[in-house]
Amino acid sequence: MSLITSLLALRRDARLLKIPPYLSALCVLVGIGWLLVLPLQEYSRGTYVSENALLPGQVHTYFTGSEHNIFRAYRHEVAELVHQPLEGRNQRLAEILRSSGLKVATQNYEYSASGRTISGQNVYGILQGPRADATEAIVLIAAWRNMDGEINHSGVALVLTLARYFKRWSLWSKDIIFLIAGDSTAGPQAWVDAYHDSHSPASIEPLSIKSGALQGAVAIDYPAGPWGHRFDKLHIVYDGINGQLPNLDLFNTAVSIASGQMGIGCTLQRMWKHDDSYQARLQTMLRGMISQGLGHASGPHSSFIPYHVDAITLQTVGDGWHDEMSLGRTVESLFRSLNNLLEHLHQSFFFYLLMQANRFVSIGTYLPSAMLIAVNFTITSIALWVQSGRAPNPPSPVSTNTKPSEAPKMIAIDRDGMVALIPEQYLTIIERKLFLPLAFVGSAHFLGLLPLYIFNNTSESSLTLTFHATTFLTLLLPQLTASALSLSPYRPSAQETILIQCLSLLLLGMFLSALATLNFSLAFLVGILATPLTFVRPTSSRPIAGLQTLLLVAVNPLVVITLATSYWAGGDVSQLRTVLVAAAEGWHVWGLWTQVVVWLVWWPAWFAESVVVAGSLFGKVVEAKSVKA
Amino acid sequence: MSLLLRSIVLLLAFIAFTSAEHTSNWAVLVSTSRFWFNYRHLANVLSLYRTVKRLGIPDSQIILMLPDDMACNPRNAFPGTVYNNADRALDLYGDNIEVDYRGYEVTVENFIRLLTDRVGEDMPRSKRLLTDDRSNILVYMTGHGGNEFLKFQDAEEISAFDLADAFEQMWEKKRYHEMLFMIDTCQANTMYSKFYSPNILATGSSEIDQSSYSHHADNDVGVAVIDRYTYYNLDFLETQVREPSSKLTMGDLFDSYDEEKIHSHPGVRYDLFNGGEAAARSRLVMDFFGNVQNVEVEGGVGNETAWQEELQAIERMINDARRRHNESLTVLPEAEQAPTEKVARPSLKKEGAARVNADGGWSKQFAGAAALLGCVGVWAAGSWLESSK
Repeated sequence: MSLITSLLALRRDARLLKIPPYLSALCVLVGIGWLLVLPLQEYSRGTYVSENALLPGQVHTYFTGSEHNIFRAYRHEVAELVHQPLEGRNQRLAEILRSSGLKVATQNYEYSASGRTISGQNVYGILQGPRADATEAIVLIAAWRNMDGEINHSGVALVLTLARYFKRWSLWSKDIIFLIAGDSTAGPQAWVDAYHDSHSPASIEPLSIKSGALQGAVAIDYPAGPWGHRFDKLHIVYDGINGQLPNLDLFNTAVSIASGQMGIGCTLQRMWKHDDSYQARLQTMLRGMISQGLGHASGPHSSFIPYHVDAITLQTVGDGWHDEMSLGRTVESLFRSLNNLLEHLHQSFFFYLLMQANRFVSIGTYLPSAMLIAVNFTITSIALWVQSGRAPNPPSPVSTNTKPSEAPKMIAIDRDGMVALIPEQYLTIIERKLFLPLAFVGSAHFLGLLPLYIFNNTSESSLTLTFHATTFLTLLLPQLTASALSLSPYRPSAQETILIQCLSLLLLGMFLSALATLNFSLAFLVGILATPLTFVRPTSSRPIAGLQTLLLVAVNPLVVITLATSYWAGGDVSQLRTVLVAAAEGWHVWGLWTQVVVWLVWWPAWFAESVVVAGSLFGKVVEAKSVKA
Repeated sequence: MSLLLRSIVLLLAFIAFTSAEHTSNWAVLVSTSRFWFNYRHLANVLSLYRTVKRLGIPDSQIILMLPDDMACNPRNAFPGTVYNNADRALDLYGDNIEVDYRGYEVTVENFIRLLTDRVGEDMPRSKRLLTDDRSNILVYMTGHGGNEFLKFQDAEEISAFDLADAFEQMWEKKRYHEMLFMIDTCQANTMYSKFYSPNILATGSSEIDQSSYSHHADNDVGVAVIDRYTYYNLDFLETQVREPSSKLTMGDLFDSYDEEKIHSHPGVRYDLFNGGEAAARSRLVMDFFGNVQNVEVEGGVGNETAWQEELQAIERMINDARRRHNESLTVLPEAEQAPTEKVARPSLKKEGAARVNADGGWSKQFAGAAALLGCVGVWAAGSWLESSK
């Protein structure tokens, strides 16, 4: 009983309100620390193939010998096609596929984004499994041009050769679709959309022939020209749109076959040199997180993943001694494994962070990191809510004797025959005026729709200019809003200022913790960049307010995007345009959600906090002393 | 009094000894897993099926349960075959295979109904275990299991208790004489730990908390083709037990288990067997894996001399008949016998044979001409007599 009483007394303790900022800071620190320990041996795990049916590398591969001559011939055919117009090129590719005994069709597609048109044609052939029941299919992809815009000479030739070679096996339990996509992102997207009948019929042609449910897709990126090139390693690209990932079993099978059976080293996230040190692991993981957080298409496979079709791209890198036949045998063995599948890949993880080709952490281990970051906003939000309901300047029970002149007004309460003297302020109920904070935070979030619309509907040429203008405007807007508010009849009181911050942080914490379960990396990155929003407060001191404003300018979403782009592009500002164009393409073609998070979650939170801080720069803040936490 | 008691005991022992004979052999061979990657479990069972058939158990006395069809799986690079070795020398699916329970018929319920014979009237005989108290049964199971259970087709499992109770019912219903229970799965030995019915000799591939492993994979079929424990059992049966007259005992089989090779600790349970370890070990391998010719005659021992006399009488009759037959052969025309002589003496010269034939030919032609002339004479005489009327 006495424990509860003392706890209830503690609830009223003013010192309690001093704890939340420290608690928030602790959450952020632990969240970051959590992420940093993940690459250690004790916190990450070795990968393993979970699905029994896959049996990776348990078959002899026979893609050798005379197939090599056929491959070379096809590679020259492909080289001949480079300068031909699209129609003629695809006609010839279709002819080759048809001559291998496949059913062949083409698909035209056309997208428009940022005022430019992305159009092309996919050509694909279906190998019907001779003893299969045509209910399932796996896809082998080679885009005509890879992500860097190079012509995928050897990749396309390898797909043509493998089509001819696979046709002669009788053991396929699924149909195999050979897709030569017009480009690396839009083409596969158009094809996979149309395959699932979710394309927009106006600009995307439907598929004339189809097969069963897609069980997996493998893309080959091997741009070596007509005279070939021996490669050193396979770079396995696995990021999907919106940070969705393929089942870890597919990745593991590819690694196990390539390195275990064929002796080809595997690498990921452009880590050409990986010495298995802590730094290398951390770097791989962080690169993976940034890629996942951006949610962009990282290869022809990316478009398949939102349809729950597990997919990866095998990209050849470096100079070594592995030739096209090693890659062909890897693909053959991989397809034999996929062929063994009895049901959709489901055994292994869909949420993971890889830090090496054979080390990972799963969602259960890494999720607390982003959750702690998100929780820091919620804690501060709750503290602000409590604070907003208190009378200004609550007396401290321990210090009542020091200044007797300010002794608070006491009220005697008589209950159950006992009398107690309680300061009056404890019993006053302060009404929270919620209208203005709610309206303000709501409109801030709706305001985010404006840049979202603008950046997705501006033509490429004026995109950079629009971006800079928006940056400028965004930096100015909080000050303008604050001064406008202070002059208007709706000038926010101290309580309302607190409530604006409280509600905006509450929403931010909620959004980010929900997002952490879908796209951990994006939630984590936005969470870290938004952390200063927890610690800024309205203040009466102008220098402090100025410092806070500077801090907020530095973490403005648009400023962060500009700085990050110039950092990764090595100071090349023109890259900003590439990023903006890709973002618009993502919105129109891939169905990217990253912009929604930036403009409707992050930016409104930043805006609300900036207005709160700007309020203390403009005009007086009522009873500033009282709102200092 | 004690003398009487002792004599009763002796009598009982005698009865027990005389009844240690079985009159039929049955085999229940069960694979409990489906799916392509469990190819080896079906190969295990088919290998054992082939072995017991070779040693004489007819298809009508083998209940074969196969939950999946590996031979016709589209993933099979060698359609229509199942192999248990990477050398692919022996096609287990072969040309003569009789699967009694297949696909989704392989369930725990059907298995227990089979053992206890609780089946509907319309159940075909090929799907029933028609054993009696003089039948020796081999029960072989393989699949994925764990501590005191064996998984059936990913959907259900049979526990060691279910199995023990089913065997007890079989004993109560006099459905077996002796039984060999053999199981190849992970933690296999736990499956027979709950048995409590007499005359069961049980053996398994691995102890509790121990996995059983596959022996090797065929890289063209792309899967493991046989399990270790089964492989080494078959190795013994195929190389040592060459013909049905083999006198190798179960003890020899159990002694052949090499833990180094099997990679797990196979176990044997003797205590339920009548006569304990010594009796169990002295049973012939053929008592369970082969078919016996032992016949029990109704009516007791007293009739034996009469039966012998009857046999001798029948033998005499047969000999008489054979002698008469041979004599009748000797009176046949020479021409009929000539070719047999020719075969018997291939060195005989052709000219000689031709000369003999030529001589016979002339005499025959004479006889024929004479017969024709005789006939003409008879006809002429007849017509003359008729016209003279």
